[in-house]
Amino acid sequence: MAPDTLDTIVSAETPEGILLELRPAGLTARCYAFLIDGLIKVGVIYVLGILAAFAGGIGLGVGLILLFALEWLYPVIFELSRWAATPGKSALGLKVVMDNGLPVTPAASLTRNLLRFADFLPFLYGFAVASLLLRRDFKRLGDIAAATLVVYRPRPAAKIASSDIPPLAPALAISPADQAAIIALAARAPRLTGERLDELAALAASVSGDGGNSGPQVTRRVLGVAQWFLGRR
Amino acid sequence: MTPLQFEQRYQPEWDELQSLLTRLPRVAPPALLGIPFAALRLHKPAPWWKKAPAQPVDGERIAALYRRACEQLALARARAYPGYLTDRLEQLTADAHQLIYQQVEFGLGRLKRLIAIDFPRAVRAHSAYAWIALAVFAVPTLVLGCLIYFRPELILSVVSGAEASEYERMYSTSAESIGRSRDAAGDWTMFGFYIRNNITIAFQCFAGGLFAGLGSLFYLAWNGAFSGAVGGYLTARGLGSTFYSFIVTHSAFELTAIVLAGAAGLRLGHALLMPGRRTRGHALVVAAKESTVIIYGVFVFLLVAAAIEGFWSSATWIPREMKYGVAALCWTGVISYLTLQGRSAR
Repeated sequence: MAPDTLDTIVSAETPEGILLELRPAGLTARCYAFLIDGLIKVGVIYVLGILAAFAGGIGLGVGLILLFALEWLYPVIFELSRWAATPGKSALGLKVVMDNGLPVTPAASLTRNLLRFADFLPFLYGFAVASLLLRRDFKRLGDIAAATLVVYRPRPAAKIASSDIPPLAPALAISPADQAAIIALAARAPRLTGERLDELAALAASVSGDGGNSGPQVTRRVLGVAQWFLGRR
Repeated sequence: MTPLQFEQRYQPEWDELQSLLTRLPRVAPPALLGIPFAALRLHKPAPWWKKAPAQPVDGERIAALYRRACEQLALARARAYPGYLTDRLEQLTADAHQLIYQQVEFGLGRLKRLIAIDFPRAVRAHSAYAWIALAVFAVPTLVLGCLIYFRPELILSVVSGAEASEYERMYSTSAESIGRSRDAAGDWTMFGFYIRNNITIAFQCFAGGLFAGLGSLFYLAWNGAFSGAVGGYLTARGLGSTFYSFIVTHSAFELTAIVLAGAAGLRLGHALLMPGRRTRGHALVVAAKESTVIIYGVFVFLLVAAAIEGFWSSATWIPREMKYGVAALCWTGVISYLTLQGRSAR
């Protein structure tokens, strides 16, 4: 939410006055997506080529038309589908949205894909790469003109397991932001090693009245305070 | 209120909103285009390819639940509630926002409106760009055409000798020439080839506009010069009648489309150079949105051009007089379509 962090989150404000957080995808993810799409297209062209060779002259003509469709309509059709992304982007958990968070419109999808011609120059998507590296929101030229963003699909955060740790009243009054930090620690607890969890909990030990101490017992008490902040009594 | 109480209290509302959202079709029927949100209640029957939902979705209820979810998200953020709660609410509001504010641009009605009204109007709205694009295309065509007509050896500065003789062979009156010995399969091959080739040229003219319009100017001038050179050369070699009877019909659509694509590109470049009271970025977005209408039309024109080029222009059983007659009809049709169509409609 804060604009002056290292995060590349783009906030889109809705008419209801809330900020939707969009997480734009950077160069690496989009390169992989591009490569996957490229492989899919090459595979389809290969199969088409074999079929066209069997079908003879008329196959060549139909093949050329399909090649054209693959080249130009493949991204547009997939971006307007319910996945809002080409298979390559889907594989990496990306999707295309307007930069106000709405689904991509046909006009915008067409624009961003036609302007590939400009992005492609001077060689190997040079302008696209330069634009992606220079901008916070990772737009290539086509994205700038079409007002679109390639973002990560949101993944739901892990719910805090209702553990067997008994809730513990905090030893001192702390601000909501600090409460949130302690709850976030409890949410991360299953993914941390025991020693690291102890280290982190020791930093917050003053909330359970164990300031300066550390160890599994202190950790248990800090997590107990987290349960209290969550509302367990 | 603790996070758990908050969750317990509002969980049913979130679940209800979620289930309502999944029942709402992602792309609502085109009839909903631009209609205020409450009108979702007047749910038109879904198109035949989409199964109608079991019962109509209550739009007002969705709107109310969505607004409440927005309030709850703001509260949850302000109170620094745990991540899983704000994430759940963020996801829910984002999904609802996407469905509620989606713009529907699909549908036959939209296509009909585009062809009948929007495209010719957009061309007229951009007529200054179109005239400039036409000049940038036509002047090199005429200059190189005349130059090479009078001094045919200059063709070698545009194409290689082998290519020049290839063009000559293509349009020669011998049995090998274009349209003489082609069967149906050949027609289809050429149709596919022309689509790819022409659309690539047109899209280059459009996308080149991003470089302050210079790319559009370059591609327009280059393609103009190239066509002029080939035309002048073939005329000088006495193959004019084959050449012109071949190109005259489809060029009504093809050349117009290329010039219009260039005009759309110039619009982009102009927006970047002189954004007026907007920021450059915003000016570009507006220009791209407006010129996409032209690109839709260009697309249709190029499909028509490729079809004519593949199946009609190359057909030798059609007498030349007829080709010229049809070509005159096509040119009149294209020009009057672009200048007159959609003027009175509202």
